[in-house]
Amino acid sequence: MKSIKMVSRVVVFLVIIAMIAGCTAAAPANETKTYGLFMSHMTNAFTIEMSDAVKAKAAELGVELTVYDGGQDAAKQAGQIETAVTQGIDGIVIEPVSVDGLVPAIEAATKAGIPVVVVNQKISKPEAASAFVGVSNVEGGILEMKTAAEAIGGKGNVAFLLGPMGSDAQIGRTEGYYEVLKEYPDIKVVFEQSANWKTDEALKLVENWLQTGTEINAIVANNDGMALGALKAVEDAKLLDKIKIYGLDATPDALAAVKDGRLAATVSQSTTAQGMTAMETVVKLAKGEKVEPEILVSFTLIDSNNIGDYLK
Amino acid sequence: MDDFILEMNNISKSFAKVRVLNDITFKVKPGEVHALVGENGAGKSTLMKILMGIHSPDNGEILISGHKTQIKNPREALAYGISMIHQELNPIMDMEVSENIFLGREIHKNGLVNIREERNQAESLFKEIGININPRTLMRNLSVAQIQLVEIVKAISLSSRVIVMDEPTSAITQKEVKTLFEQIDRLRKQNVAIIYISHKMDEIFQIADRISVLRDGELIGTFPVTDVNNDQLIKMMVGREIKEFIPKTVVPVGEVILEVDNLSRGKHFQNVSFKLHAGEILGIAGLVGAGRSELAEAIFGITQPTNGVIRINGIPVNHQNPKHAIRNKIALITEDRKQTGLNLKFSVKDNITIVSLDELSRMGIINDTQERKAADDFIHNLSIKTTSRNTLLANLSGGNQQKVVLAKWLLTTPEIIILDEPTRGIDVGAKRDIYLLIGEMVKTGKAVLMISSEIPEIMGLSDRIIVLAEGEKTGEISRQDFSQELIMRYASAFNNGGIQ
Amino acid sequence: MNSIKNRFEVSSLREIGIIIAFFVILIILMILSPNAFAKPANLVNILKQASINGILAMGMMFVIISGGIDLSVGSIVALAGVVAATFAHPNEYPLIVSIVLSAVIGAGVGLFNGISVAYGNIPPFIVTLGTMTIVRGMALIAANGQPVFNVTKAFEGIAGGFVFDVVPRLVVYFVVIAIICAFIITRTVFGRRVYAIGGNETAARVSGINVNRIKVAVYTLSGFLAGLSGLLLASRLISGNPTSGQSYELDAIAAVIIGGVSMSGGAGKWYGTIIGALLIAVIGNGLDILNVSSHFQLIIKGSIIIVAVLLDMKGKGKI
Repeated sequence: MKSIKMVSRVVVFLVIIAMIAGCTAAAPANETKTYGLFMSHMTNAFTIEMSDAVKAKAAELGVELTVYDGGQDAAKQAGQIETAVTQGIDGIVIEPVSVDGLVPAIEAATKAGIPVVVVNQKISKPEAASAFVGVSNVEGGILEMKTAAEAIGGKGNVAFLLGPMGSDAQIGRTEGYYEVLKEYPDIKVVFEQSANWKTDEALKLVENWLQTGTEINAIVANNDGMALGALKAVEDAKLLDKIKIYGLDATPDALAAVKDGRLAATVSQSTTAQGMTAMETVVKLAKGEKVEPEILVSFTLIDSNNIGDYLK
Repeated sequence: MDDFILEMNNISKSFAKVRVLNDITFKVKPGEVHALVGENGAGKSTLMKILMGIHSPDNGEILISGHKTQIKNPREALAYGISMIHQELNPIMDMEVSENIFLGREIHKNGLVNIREERNQAESLFKEIGININPRTLMRNLSVAQIQLVEIVKAISLSSRVIVMDEPTSAITQKEVKTLFEQIDRLRKQNVAIIYISHKMDEIFQIADRISVLRDGELIGTFPVTDVNNDQLIKMMVGREIKEFIPKTVVPVGEVILEVDNLSRGKHFQNVSFKLHAGEILGIAGLVGAGRSELAEAIFGITQPTNGVIRINGIPVNHQNPKHAIRNKIALITEDRKQTGLNLKFSVKDNITIVSLDELSRMGIINDTQERKAADDFIHNLSIKTTSRNTLLANLSGGNQQKVVLAKWLLTTPEIIILDEPTRGIDVGAKRDIYLLIGEMVKTGKAVLMISSEIPEIMGLSDRIIVLAEGEKTGEISRQDFSQELIMRYASAFNNGGIQ
Repeated sequence: MNSIKNRFEVSSLREIGIIIAFFVILIILMILSPNAFAKPANLVNILKQASINGILAMGMMFVIISGGIDLSVGSIVALAGVVAATFAHPNEYPLIVSIVLSAVIGAGVGLFNGISVAYGNIPPFIVTLGTMTIVRGMALIAANGQPVFNVTKAFEGIAGGFVFDVVPRLVVYFVVIAIICAFIITRTVFGRRVYAIGGNETAARVSGINVNRIKVAVYTLSGFLAGLSGLLLASRLISGNPTSGQSYELDAIAAVIIGGVSMSGGAGKWYGTIIGALLIAVIGNGLDILNVSSHFQLIIKGSIIIVAVLLDMKGKGKI
């Protein structure tokens, strides 16, 4: 008995050590320039596509890149930046967890002479960073909402599924929705709740909304993950012919749903273009070149008309 | 008129319409040892809990040195100079001895605890009192007896005016009792009053000045110790005559059923040998730390001996765990029922049946009817006082809890029953019930191995007694040769410089 | 009559209390939104929304009664769901593969937990905290960070669809599992021993119970049920999400505690756990219908847990 106890303890201990070792990012080499990509999280198609694009560009330009996962935690991401700065990184590309939370860390980095390119989600003090590459989330929201408004004939009830409150994407896109609604006085917002980017949360929320008996003509979601959850709830209730659903991100599963005629439309934020441009920009900055403070890539609407171009 | 240090006048108390104390007047003089006796449920604990501020009386008043006082909580009681050694030992297991002694009045400087000073003071306390315990030991690593000794030292060190001692000797043996009594004498000279609650009559007659008897919430009377004898006391406590206090039936002794041959387990016990026959009660006497409980645990499979052989009905056995021993028809009733013998969260029924579930089930599903019947049979046969078989065990008195433990093991129809301090913390009436039960066990041909530190009990029940001292068997005595002095001599064989 | 009374022994204030509280909250919600809440279709909704947590809670109930805790179930839900969805693409594997894999993965993690707790003597909180993190990582790796979609109709039909056209399949699974677990914990030797270990582990050992073996079984069971829940969730979402199940273990623990099982083990009734799971679903559903934000719902859920524990301690005379 005692020996089994001992062995089990050792095994668990070794597993924990392996875990810790596996998590430690490899130290960059000294000769080539080293850059860091700081993602807000790495758990959906959008973030994977973004980081893949940045990595590809880095490889093309012949520079070292380390990717950090912020786990949707602003404090964690700030800590990652601080550590990288002290290790003498040459440039930073960051997709921030929140609008305000990363400003101090970014300011400290630029003050230390390290160029910072913010990608996709704006921070509240843009001048703290060296440049912004991305899309205007407001523009994305406008494109999504306009499509939905026209599709329901300019009048009716809509419901919004929001991302985590306080993120630039949630704020921007929702602002876009309300911009559009100014033109459509006959459209009423009957429900508006956050489902935190999550498919299962959106499913439960929409299931319960449908129970209230309030009529809904369209559901507009801040991202595809939530749109798909809403889609399942609407399909289960056999209301797909009455309710149109819109998402944003153009993730593979959403594209498939558009192709099958279930999801009305999604919006691509040209994630790959954003990622590559961001990487290009930070390398330019590190070489001392000047760049525009704000480089915007445009959104594309993807619906049944042009789905063939996007789905192989 | 005598000055009393403490007066509890006309105290009454009810719990949910049940009257537990009825107009009790109890007075204690400074420097006296005042024994408080009565069966469990007579009201002694409740009266003391009122004194300690744990309960408040419905009626009556408390006077300390003549001043009317309200004691609202234990902290106030301590402040008034009243401390208590509780019957239920509740040490902080993961702290060391010195920390437990100074709990609540830690020696500190600027908020930082001075552990070295605590250890020093604890060490000198122990030396002064004559007890051999290392103050740095974790409470967890002490035996039950040692824990009780620490509690005693703690109370003595509090410089109280009144010390309540509730069953202070339930776990310790004669030598330590002698030490305790020496301390009580010392306290007496310092004018400290002691309220001594115990079921051990011989101790009371040794140490007390006056005795108060409680029965069913009433004070029957207060007497100088010289004015009463044992039989009168018991009659007052129980309300009826008890002819023989320790009933002993003579039962024919059969074949050797258990043989322990040169058994050793490291430093706990060495080279112990004895034979146990069917129908026999073999007592095992000895001091604290003699290794008796360890011997029992090794026979039962909780631990494994390092040397020697155990034979049952002539066949050598090797118990890797209790389940083996149970299969070989051995039962062990452990020393501390609350820690290892019972599940207080379970009902009476569930406690009784827990070891025998396989027999009461089919294909893993418990047969409710059989289970209920088994429990009811034992509740009836052992006269277990409980409202129903589904009562939570925590709500039963100590004596009835012990009966449940016995019922649990008797249900397994054992042939060999090992009892470790079977009547610890149990009142007179219940003790007698258990003695009768033990007698019944051997009548049917079972064999009983009984560890006990109460000399009258072990002498009253056993057919033979073996004595352990510091892990070795130092003597074996047959019933006709039983004597307290002989047992004590064997038990302290090494302390007096060699076997005499 | 007597035997029925024995079956449903409601021995403490607490157990009556939770049943009353449940109906009170139900009635309040019915009054606040008479049209939406009390509809039969919505009540079916509530059962659906309670099912996955309910299944997890039944497994958690065994673990907590035995005196332990299992923090890894949420992560197991994610991993099992991802693997199940991966093997459910059209024209690839038979449906049975997804089902068997999720069960095996769940039971496997549970077995690891059980062995570490029982034989390695490591506190359950620490072991399952470790596996919670490791298994979450495995789920993310297995899914390459994104949802695994494109599953067969048959896979969708596991949790979707109805029995007798009225009762959702998902709910039927919950009911069946709940009945089986209730039977095991109340009527079998194994169940009684789980209570015994939680009540007084030393006394249980002295009584000859093989404590280690039972602990391993309990954690394996919890993991197995979490694996099944992962399969059902993936079927319900028609995708395996590596981020799903986050803090599901907390909801399972909440259901068990609200329902009256003591955190120290050894006591508590099966129907309490079911009521706890239903209560959580009722509150989530009702507040969604009343348009209360999910953040506020967290505050309410947490407050109920605290009240439940306080009532539990009061009932035991500890406060």
